[in-house]
Order: sequence, then structure tokens, then C-alpha cells
Amino acid sequence: MDNGNLASNNGRSLLVIGGGIAGLTAALEAAEAGCSAIIIEKSPSLGGRAIAFNQYFPKLCPPTCGFEINFRRIKNNPRITVLTQAELEEITGSAGDYEATVKLSPRFVTNSCTVCGACAEACPAERPDGFNYNLSKTKAAYLPHKMAFPAQYVIDRNACKKDCSACVDACRYGAINLEQQVERKKFHVAAVVLATGWAPYDASKITNLGFGCYPNVVTNVLLERMAAVNGPTAGKILRPSDGKEPATVAFVQCAGSRDENHLPYCSSVCCSASLKHSTYIHNLYPDAQVTIFYIDTRTPGFLQDFYAKVATNGHLKMIKGKVGKVEEDPETHDLIVTAEEVLTGTKLTQKFSMVVLAAGIVPQTDGIPLKVARDQFGFAVNGTAGIFAAGCAKRPEEVSATVRDATGAALKALQCAVRSAHHG
Amino acid sequence: MGEPHAVQPDQKVIEDLMAFGAHDFKKCFQCATCSAVCTLSNNDFAFPRKQMIAAQWGLKDKLMGDPGPWLCFYCGECSKNCPRKANPGETMMALRRYLTSAYDWTGLSRLMYSSAFWEIGILALVSAIVVALFTLPQSFGFGLLSRSGAAPLHTVMLDKFAPVGMVDMGDRIMALVLSFFLLTNAARMFYYLTRDQKIPARLYITQLPSLILHAATQKRWNGCKDSEATKNWIRHLLLVTGYVTMFTLVVVFLPWFQVNDSSIHWTSFLGYYATTVLVGATVWMLIDRIRQHGEMYQFSHLSDWLFPILLFLTAVTGIGMHLLRVNDLPMATYVMYTVHMAIAVPMLVVEVPFGKWAHLLYRPLAIYVAAVRDKAAQCSSLEVAPAGPVPA
Repeated sequence: MDNGNLASNNGRSLLVIGGGIAGLTAALEAAEAGCSAIIIEKSPSLGGRAIAFNQYFPKLCPPTCGFEINFRRIKNNPRITVLTQAELEEITGSAGDYEATVKLSPRFVTNSCTVCGACAEACPAERPDGFNYNLSKTKAAYLPHKMAFPAQYVIDRNACKKDCSACVDACRYGAINLEQQVERKKFHVAAVVLATGWAPYDASKITNLGFGCYPNVVTNVLLERMAAVNGPTAGKILRPSDGKEPATVAFVQCAGSRDENHLPYCSSVCCSASLKHSTYIHNLYPDAQVTIFYIDTRTPGFLQDFYAKVATNGHLKMIKGKVGKVEEDPETHDLIVTAEEVLTGTKLTQKFSMVVLAAGIVPQTDGIPLKVARDQFGFAVNGTAGIFAAGCAKRPEEVSATVRDATGAALKALQCAVRSAHHG
Repeated sequence: MGEPHAVQPDQKVIEDLMAFGAHDFKKCFQCATCSAVCTLSNNDFAFPRKQMIAAQWGLKDKLMGDPGPWLCFYCGECSKNCPRKANPGETMMALRRYLTSAYDWTGLSRLMYSSAFWEIGILALVSAIVVALFTLPQSFGFGLLSRSGAAPLHTVMLDKFAPVGMVDMGDRIMALVLSFFLLTNAARMFYYLTRDQKIPARLYITQLPSLILHAATQKRWNGCKDSEATKNWIRHLLLVTGYVTMFTLVVVFLPWFQVNDSSIHWTSFLGYYATTVLVGATVWMLIDRIRQHGEMYQFSHLSDWLFPILLFLTAVTGIGMHLLRVNDLPMATYVMYTVHMAIAVPMLVVEVPFGKWAHLLYRPLAIYVAAVRDKAAQCSSLEVAPAGPVPA
């Protein structure tokens, strides 16, 4: 991770925007083919959305194992530069010859950090834990999560108490420097991989489904964190209102997706995700009744086999018919779900102890100072020479598809770098 | 679920529906959000999703046998929440227009709904006939005015201009003709709504109160839970009371209602109530329609404009004639009388059996048949139930 070799590689490195699974893959594939790659990641650690999952496709393993391998590949590869809390500020030039200005926000913790945690223990201030989608809190001096890479604490100065330096006093290694300032770095790169990923759709905008009003209506990403052992409930899926185990859970598919009032496109992964979530619930509570309300079950490719396998569970019911209304019984905080069962043509009103909204994928391509074509929904469209989108910035896709997509983007970027080296 | 059968899509139905104001129903992808958010839709009659697919496929028989479109009072929650912007609410409205034309055996309704030219043309024709009846000289053979001798111009003597006996007879003939068309059309509706289900005859008697209740109160409208529902319902109910009062005055009490001279009669006071309500409600509805206030008024077909406008004009010319008469202005009274009739008669002749006004019978009839079918289904399921599950 030495910046010194960049100059000699002038015209042959790649800039990868986003340190999620797509960005990591693109950078690693390119670097392992001999090209330098700079990953700039907005947040303080790598891994993006996928590292916050409980399990991911295709093998339903926890992301710890896959990311551990990737992080080791990064550590072992001198051609990769990782910059966290880094954002692209400006980019000039053209394919084969870009100059990128990257803004580095201060971490306030230096490389001397040993992850001992004394700073957090001493810290008197708290902040919502974004990694857990704000289901829990961390101190203002915090480690993003247990397997954060780089393994280094970070200080959220916006959350700090005024004139407090408890963390500085607590750190025996002198690793905390509250005077750190914003820095800017310039890089010459041949090509850019745009891997800015996705965010879950804001489900509180779907007013008829009750998210944000009723505590026991949660979203799919929240459920992932609840199910994860390093999550806010240590792997227990519990009703937020009273901490009880849910006996009946309804999944509302297309919560925002395929909806002209919200996201007009299909987010493509939510059907498989909800089926996966039903396995989380049944692993914890084998007798829980899970009902998935869907418009069409869309489980493309190998996910169809997964669907077929999961659907054999007698405690899983698939009902064709989108949920139109979620109401709450104020006494019990149970939820009353209204739908029309399309296959029988009858209207159904049923009580559930928990409702999970399968919120869709929103591409994160806003606010990037990069001339990249976007479709009507904000997904990046390849076409600009030297800029290659990968992963959910380009289309909604699950992890394994993202990895394949990012590998392809890396090859395209490599070709661009090689061409520029020949001509340059 | 019924026997599997081949469906026969009818392209004509789809074309008609588009001409009748449904433009977006082909966008529907059958997610059923609409039926779920609808507060009137229930287990036995879940709508409007089923109507959406029947419309998309042009399933004429299915649509004609379905009371669903008349069970909807267009709160528009379905359209608001529709993820495809397929406008189920407006599709149901267009289906009501379509069914009005489909139940009409004369074909006039379809002609008028699908063409502004015919709609306006037929109204104008009836209007012209009415004007002719009052104004043409007797040598043409039908001058009401000249038949009864010259009406005096020094003081109002309406009987000399339009003899109440003749008008009364004309009224009743018109009422008979209208009833004939409306009832035969409604009989067709009844036939289609009941032909696919075995219904014990006694249910038609036991459920009869629902027909009268809904015709009289339209209370089902209040089952819409949108913020406009109660207002819309009460406003409509007031309009109905005004209309029924006026209709009764004209058809039953004309000899007392059509006062000969410039005096005030007891019927005048009933007239004051009726015209106040008619003018107030139609103006209010028209303002809402112009402003596209609420989901119900987002889209307007020509028939949606003509109905309240004609009703409004009838009431206004009625008021005008009353004012001119009590102020003893003979010529002006006769002219206004003719104008009043030239609006009221075509409105009734065209709208009641062939137009939007037919809903006065179709809606309560559909609600009644739906209740009957519902009961019949319950009975048949009770009869089947004792057999129990088939042992393995």
C-alpha cells in the first residue's frame, strides 16, 4: 500500500470508486493481473452492504469467510491502494489519461491503532450505528464492526462532546490525533470502475405498509442485521416492540419495487432474499409460520433451485397477491395484513407478529463528479470511454452476480489501461 | 373454482372500454394491490383486480355477469396506490359506462357513449322536437300553442300556452316509455347477473329490503373510507331527494305544480327545496370536476359533464320560469317554459334509460343481486358441508 509506486505506474492504474464487494473484486482482479488499483471508499471500512449480511448467495455462508479471503488478497498485493473515508472530488482528462482528485476526510486515528478499544471505553458520547442500520448505538470512538478492514478505530467528530479528549488520554499508543485535517490527493489513472453500490429504498415512503409507524414492521436489511451474530440482537430475530420471538411473520414483496410511485423497476434480489430470510427464521424457530406475499416470485437462474428447496418447508406459505395495507393492533402490536389472494380470488385479512418489507435496491450514483450516463432510474450505463460500472450501481443483482460483473468490468478497465500504456 | 374453460377475448370490448374512458387498464399486472386497499371490496366480491383482467382480455360475458363495477363508488384509493398507474378506479367507471351500453338492447346507449356527435345530436333532436311541439303553428299539425288558441299576453295564463292536461298526459307517456326501456335493460342486467348461479327463489324475497334500502339511501358509498366519502355521499343523497321531489311533482302532481296564473301554490315550496338542492349540488359537483378535486374527478368523459350540466340547467330554467310567472310576465314565462322543457325532456329521455342516470336502477339492483348471490353461495356451501372431507 505504498503510494510511491504510483508515479512509475502512471497511466496504468485504475481508480475504483467504492469498496464494497464489486469494488474489491474489480480492484483485486485487475491488480492480480498486474495493474495498480486505487480503491476509494466513502465509509471508514471496506465491505459495503454485503459485509452486513447474515448470509449471502450462492452458498448461504456468512460474509466473514469470503471477505476475509479478499482482505488477505489486498494485504498481500502491493499494487492495491486502499483509501477509506475518501471521495472523488474532481476528475479531468479522458480515457487512458485521467487525473483524479480525491478528498480524504480525517479518521483521527492513526496506523498505530491496535484495536484495543480503550478509546471507546473512555468515550462519553454515542452515535447511531449505521452498520446496524441504526438499530443500535456505538460510542463516538468506534470500530465500524468486528471484522472491519482496515482494522482501525475511527472517531465521529460530529458525535463528540464539546472539548472532550477522553479518547486521546485513554490511548496508550498515541494513536489518536484530533487535529487531523482534510487532505487531498491527486492520481493519474487510465480507467475508472464505478462500484458505488446501492442503498435500500426508504420504506417509510410506502405509507400504506406502516414502516416507521409500527415497531414490528421492519425491512429486509434490518432483518439481516438481526439475524447476524455480530448484529444488535446477537443473531436473535425478535419483535422490536417487546423483544419476543415472532410466531408468525409476513414478508411483503415489492415494497417499493415494480411500483411507478416508488421504484418502477424490479430489484431482482428481494424474492430470493425473502426466501433466504425465511430460512433464518426457521433455523431459529422451526415452528414459526412464515408467509410471503408476492406479485410474481422472481428467482432467476440457480436461485430457482433455492426457491424450490425452501418452498418444501411446510411452515412457509407463498401467497400471490400484493399486500395493500398493514395496520396495527395497538394492544398487542400485532400487525393486520390485508391482501387479495389472487389464485383463489378471495380477500384476506390476517394477523402477524412481525412484518418484513422486502425493500428494493436504489443505485448510489448521485453526487459523483464523474461524467457517466445513467438510465431513468439512476443506474449507471456503460458507454463513456474509460469508465466502467459494476455491481448494483449498474443493475440490481445479488452478490455472486456482482462478483462476475465486477470481474468483467476489471477486464474492460485493464484493456483501457493496456491501450493507454502502448500509446502513452 | 370452476371448470377449466377456454376464454374468448373480444377485441370489441377493449376498444369500447378505451372509447368509454379507460386508457390505462392494459398496464395492469395483476398484483392485487387495488382489491387489497379497497374498503368496499370483500371476500365474496373482491374487486377491482378481477375486472381489470376481464377488461384486458375483453371477457364480455364475464363482465356482463359481474355486479362488481356497481359495487364500487370510486373513492380512487386503488388508482392512488396502483403500482402500474393502471387506474383501476377509472377502469371501473368506464366499465359502468360499458355495462350501461351492453345492457341496453336498443344500441342507442353504445352509440351515444362512443360518439360525442351522436350524444349531442340525439339530445339536440329531442330538444328540437319539444320546441317544435310548443311553437310550430297548427298547420304543421302539432302546435300546442295554436291548438289552444293564442295565449294571452296581458297576464300569465300558462294553461292557454301549454294546457296542463296535455302536458300531464305527455309526461306520463314519457314516463312509461322511459320505464319500458330502463326496465327491459335492467331485466337484461338481472338475467346476466343471475344466470351462472343456482339461486333459491326465496332469497329474492328475503333480500328485497336491500334493494329498497340501497336505492333510497346509497349508504354503501359511506363504506369508502377516503376523506371525501361522507361528503360525496351526503351531497349525492341531497341531490337525490331534490330530484325525487321534483320528479314526483311533475309526474304525479302536475295539475297542482304547473300553476296557471301568477299565484304561489303549496307545491311552490316543495319546488323551492328541490331546486335549491339541485342547483347547489350540481354546481358543487361541477366545481369539483373542473378542479379535478379528488381521485373521482381526475378523468371526465363527456357523459360525466352532460348529466350534471343538464340537471343544473333544468333547475335554473325552472326557477327562472317560476320567477317570471309570479311577476306576471307572460311572454317571458312562455319562452322560459319552452326552454325548460327543451332541456328537461331530452335529459330524461336520453340519460335515464341510455345514459349515466341508469345507475339509479343498476346500482341498487347490482347490490341486491350481489347480496342474493352471496346468500345463495353460503346456502350451497352449507348443503355441501355435511358430506365432510373425503377419507383417504
